[in-house]
Order: sequence, then structure tokens, then C-alpha cells
Amino acid sequence: MKFYVCIKQVPDVSAPLQIKDGQLIQDNDRMILNAYDASAVEEALVLTEKHGGEVEVVLIGPEKASETIRKALAMGAHRGTHILITEKQKIDSAVYARILASYFSDKEYDFIACGKQAQDTDSGLTGSMLAEHLKIPYVTNAVGLDYENHHLTVKRQGDIGQEMIELPAPGVVTCSNDMNEPRIPSLKGIMQSKRKEVNTLTPDELGMKMEDVEIKTRILGFEEKPGRKPGKKLEGDPDKIARKTAHLLDEEAGVL
Amino acid sequence: MSTLLTYISVNNGKIKRSSLEVLSRCTQEANKLGFKSAALIIDENATQYSSQLGSYGLTKVYTVEGPSFKNHLNTPVLKALSAVMNRVKPKVMAFASTEGSKDILGALAANQGIPALPDMSEFEVTDTGVKGKRPVMAAKIISNVEAEGDSVIISVRSGSYDLINLPSEPEVESVEVDVGEDETKSILKEIITASGDRVDLSEADVVVAAGRGVKDEEGQNLISELARLLNAGIGASRALTESGAYDPSLQIGQTGKVVSPQLYIAVGISGAIQHVAGITNSKVIVAINKDPDAPIFDIADYGIVGDLYKVLPPFIEELKKIKGE
Repeated sequence: MKFYVCIKQVPDVSAPLQIKDGQLIQDNDRMILNAYDASAVEEALVLTEKHGGEVEVVLIGPEKASETIRKALAMGAHRGTHILITEKQKIDSAVYARILASYFSDKEYDFIACGKQAQDTDSGLTGSMLAEHLKIPYVTNAVGLDYENHHLTVKRQGDIGQEMIELPAPGVVTCSNDMNEPRIPSLKGIMQSKRKEVNTLTPDELGMKMEDVEIKTRILGFEEKPGRKPGKKLEGDPDKIARKTAHLLDEEAGVL
Repeated sequence: MSTLLTYISVNNGKIKRSSLEVLSRCTQEANKLGFKSAALIIDENATQYSSQLGSYGLTKVYTVEGPSFKNHLNTPVLKALSAVMNRVKPKVMAFASTEGSKDILGALAANQGIPALPDMSEFEVTDTGVKGKRPVMAAKIISNVEAEGDSVIISVRSGSYDLINLPSEPEVESVEVDVGEDETKSILKEIITASGDRVDLSEADVVVAAGRGVKDEEGQNLISELARLLNAGIGASRALTESGAYDPSLQIGQTGKVVSPQLYIAVGISGAIQHVAGITNSKVIVAINKDPDAPIFDIADYGIVGDLYKVLPPFIEELKKIKGE
């Protein structure tokens, strides 16, 4: 079974964020493998360990992002492809999906997995855009995967419950981080990752002229979220403060 | 005349409030700019819902009906959406942000060759497209965004807009869509829903959510009792859905459901950013936690510092008195 996993390097959202003149100041030391993508890598590894096969990771990003490919290789992915863009190239989901579609156009695979969204933009568009470009079926928001007879059984978290969907190969699946706990690379894994093959490509080599690409969505700037302020904090005798809060909800907040 | 088209999500005979919020905003924008506001329902029995759309200033309701739309599956829904969009050529195709719309937004944008702005908290229609705000980075900051195009797809977070009351008698037009069976390659085998009849979390007016502090059956019983009393939906933090104490469908937060109730009661929840990302659109937040430094207190309107096992019984008792139970 050949699994491709599309991964992205993102800022660590748990780190403090700073906005200056509408721009987000990113700490270059706190760039990580997108958590949803890490779950996709983990799931692809588990399935290929069980059923045989290979996992290749594909990343679009600047040179610095190659460390994130190494992370996935250290987890156990067999090889990697780095599609190089510059730090300055601000591309949106649509362009990501176009580049990936060009990359996959001449590849053979059973499944392409990716995170259901990136932690920085929280857009969640690229996976289904890619499937549409490749004209193959897809399932989003997977919380469980199983493989049998050349198809995946995907447990998808939907609006009213969990949907069990049969996805034939070739197909695209986008993963939630609820499905597993991604492994921490072992020392051996880290050593081995250094010898694994990473291909570096440019969009140009895939037939995408970046200067001609029309980007239809733009980020104009960032701003602080109008924060919720802490309200009343009640401490002391549990019985008293519990009863008092009940009355505040009724008489002050008017929400009962 | 240009049309702003809103996709109406339905479930069990009811239109989702979040769809009506988006529809209300679209009608306001349409009236401001001299456009038409229209709605689209794709369901096994789409037509039955059109009568529920009389107070949103609509000129038209499009329906796509058929057995293929009994349950959500992306291939047939995409086909129906593409067919209607090709026909109506809406300036904006708007969705409420749900698991159903998240499933098809990207594919629809790629299919139509138009831009998409997902999960917005505010939007306005401009001469060149759409602009507005999106929470990003686990909803910690706001990104100001715009999309350019004759047609733009957007989705909007629940709780972002109020409902309007603008009576109209929209014309209902049924659109025939042939969903080729062969094209639907992925197959929906089964839907597993959690126990029984319960309130839809993302639509609930009151939500009671359990976190790590709820350690045992006694704690869960207190949660259930409080939820019953307030006719609330029950949610849980990731810790408790992972441990299996609560169904995964009940997880609230960045990964799970985004809720926007009038009253949100967080019980034994510390308030990790991933959880908070899903609750900040709540009107009033109550937090019960024994750790006075828990981050949930930074965003709670009413914070009760105390052991939930000692706080909940008198809290429930007092609420019963207030409610006359």
C-alpha cells in the first residue's frame, strides 16, 4: 500500500503570539509539524506496518521547513518530497492544492492523507480541493481508519454522529487529531531519518509558474481578538457561592 | 440582479439556527446593496422546509430533492451544489460552518474555480468580492481577509449574527439533479449516534460541559442532572472524550464542536486554548473549578472557585427553587 501524507510546518499555536502593525510576529524557533498532519502520518504508519507498504511525506514550504520533513521521517515515514517556495510567497489553500495536484498528477498511490486543517490558518480546504483536482473520492475529518480489500473504512465525525464510510483507492482522507497519539521519534528513528531520501523540487519544475499564479484570497492583517474579560469570581463556602451564582444567573445575567 | 445564496442545513425536520443566522446576514447585505437573497435546501424532503423560511426577506427558495440526500455524503451534495450554482451564478454562496459544510467547501471551490473563505466571524459583500474576519491560530487572534471574484464561497461560525424578522413569500423552485450512482464511489455504511435523544450541541441554548475534574459516575450524574434541569446539551473536554467517559461527538473545542449558547457552564474544565477556541461565542460563561488559577476563569463571566462535588449539589438545588421545581 502506498500512502502519501501531505504535511505542513506551522507556528506552535500554544506559544505566545505577538501582533505588530497588523502583522503576526512568528518565533522561528517554535515552528512545528501541524498536529493534524502528525496524526495523519501516525495513522499511515500504523496501517502500513500492519498491511505492508510505504509512507512518503510531501511538504510545501520554505527551506527551513525541511526540519519538519525530518521529523516525519524520524517518526518512521520512508521518504520525503520538499516542494520549495520562498518565505515571501504567501500562497492560499487554493494554490497549495494546485501545486499538490501537479505533483500527484503522475504519481501512483493508494491513498493520500493529510490533516483536516492547518493549525495556523484553520481553513481546512486543501484536502478536498486536492481530491477535486485529482477527480478522486475523499472523506474529511476522519477519527478512525481501517484497511481491507483495497479500501479504507473511515470513521468520520459528522454533525449528528460518526459516519462509517468506505473509501476505495485511490482516495484522499483528511485526519482529525482525535484518532491517535502521534509517536515521539526514538533516537534510532532520528538517526535513521538522516539517511532517508528527500527530494527537493520547485513548483516551476512541476509546471507551475508561481509568478503567474493568481491568488484570490488575501490576508490583509491581523488583530487582537476582542477578548472576554473575567467577570465575577466567587470564593469561599461552596454552598453559599453556588447558591449565590444561581441567583446571579437568574437576576443579573437573565439567562435562566 | 445578483443573488446572495445561503445553503440551509437541516436535521430531523428542523432548520439549523446557524443557517438562519447566515441567511439573516445575507438578506441584510442584499438589501443594502440591491441584490436578491435566496436560499438553497438539499435534502431527501427539501420542499417541506421551505415553509419555515417566510420571515427572512427571501425572494426565492431553491430545492433539490431525492433519496441520495437522505444522509450527508459529499459526492451527491457537491453535484447538487454545482448544478444550482451554475444556474444561479450567485455573487456569494454562504454556508453555516458545520461538519457538513467543512466537508465540501474546498471541493466546491475547486470545482467552481472560485475562492473560499471558511469559518468567518464577520463578513460583508464588496464590489470585488467578500471581506471580513476569521479567527485563526486556535481562535487566539483575528485575521482580516478578503476574497476577489464574481462569485465567492464563505462559511460563517455559529453565533455570529442575530436572526431577522422580515416576512416575505419566496417563490419555491425545484432543481432536478441527476446523481449518477456510478460517480458516488465512497459509500456511507452506517451512522453511529450517541445514546438516545439529546440536544444538538452546536445549536443548544444552554450547554453544560464536563472536564477532567469530573472523575466518576457521581460527577457524571451531577452533570446529567444539571443539564436536564436547564434543558441543556451536554458537552465534554477532550480529556473526557478520549478517556471514553463521553462520546467523541460531544467534544467541544477547536477539534470538536464550536458552540454559541446563551449560557455555557464549564464544570471541572481548566480552559486549555483548544477548548476555549470552541466556546468564546457563548453569551454567558460560568466556570466551576477548584484551582483558582485555572485559565477558564480569565474568560468566565461567573467563576466559582470550589470542588465541583461540593458546588454542584447546592447549585442544582437552588436552580430548582428558582425554576419552581
